[in-house]
Amino acid sequence: MEADNQLVERCLGGEEAAWEDLVKVHTRRVYAICYRFTGSDHEAQDLTQDVFLRVFRSLKSFRAGEGSFSVWLSRLTRNLLIDHYRRSKLDRASSSIEEQLPMLEEKTASMGRPEGLLAGREASEFLQAALQKLSPDLRETVILRDLEEMEYREIAQVLNVPEGTVKSRLNRGRAELGRILHKHKGSL
Amino acid sequence: MNCADVEILLADYVDGTLRGDAASALEAHLAGCAACSELARDSAGAVAFMERASAVDAPAELVTRILFEVTAGPSHAIIKPSLVRRLFGRLFGGVLEPILQPRFAMGMAMTVLSFAMIGRFTHVRQLTPADLDPVKVWTAAEDRVVRWYNRGVKYYDSLKVVYEIQTRLKEWADEQPNSSQPQPAASPAGDTK
Repeated sequence: MEADNQLVERCLGGEEAAWEDLVKVHTRRVYAICYRFTGSDHEAQDLTQDVFLRVFRSLKSFRAGEGSFSVWLSRLTRNLLIDHYRRSKLDRASSSIEEQLPMLEEKTASMGRPEGLLAGREASEFLQAALQKLSPDLRETVILRDLEEMEYREIAQVLNVPEGTVKSRLNRGRAELGRILHKHKGSL
Repeated sequence: MNCADVEILLADYVDGTLRGDAASALEAHLAGCAACSELARDSAGAVAFMERASAVDAPAELVTRILFEVTAGPSHAIIKPSLVRRLFGRLFGGVLEPILQPRFAMGMAMTVLSFAMIGRFTHVRQLTPADLDPVKVWTAAEDRVVRWYNRGVKYYDSLKVVYEIQTRLKEWADEQPNSSQPQPAASPAGDTK
């Protein structure tokens, strides 16, 4: 947290190398959140770039006393994702997700992998498809907690809701995800 | 403990951070409540699955693209403000920045050079330091302004339309006193006789 604050100070001082460090350190996290939320590499790349363009323009508005840089960045990312979700809501074909899971299921079966051992890249793909079936509220909570390992307090700040709501959404999100994964055999 | 309590505590329980009496009470409730037990099982299954899934890495070209934006893209001006902006602040720097550019200075230099060359070839008198005396400059400027003004007035007066309007106004002015004089009262015809 302290390292982030120092990095931000150096950036605001006009140090170009500090901006480069900021990008290198945080791109993976921002991209991962965007990718897990949208389910598309192309969209996630565009959104990550948009997030950083916004960071370049509005870093001055970050106040170290009001929370960590990581939370600030996650909130920025989340807001952009929600905007994107609302904009592209009509364009999305819900059937594509329905088709994706059985396809992945067949792929897994053809590889002759025994049940319960789905892991690594295959598990990541399966998870990606399953996450898209959750509502945005539950999806973002699960991503921030279980995939980005943020504290409940931080998630509450990012989503601007009480901690109790975060926990409730997380329970519902996890359970829903568990049911989806359970339904498609070979995943759990 | 009831089902509503479970909803609050279950997240910590699945994370493995719920301990002591709270954990025991929750486990006791789960043993007797099928709905909560299923919820806990599904949650734990999802968490375990997510732990097995590999982490997402950002593509290398994405990092390169964003870094290009930092070093040479349109955002570079925001990231590293120019010397003018740093010296004169955001507001004045924004106004002065286009002027205080090398290309602007080059343009000015070329303009001065062009005028100097034109002056030399058309045999215009060369400037001397004495010509830059403020009093002399002021007097010359004032003299020129007065001359321009007089020339303007003369041009205006000699315009045909102005001349006609002035003549007509003069005629009206001349007629006015005559028309405003009271007519002498007509003497009765009988008196003259």
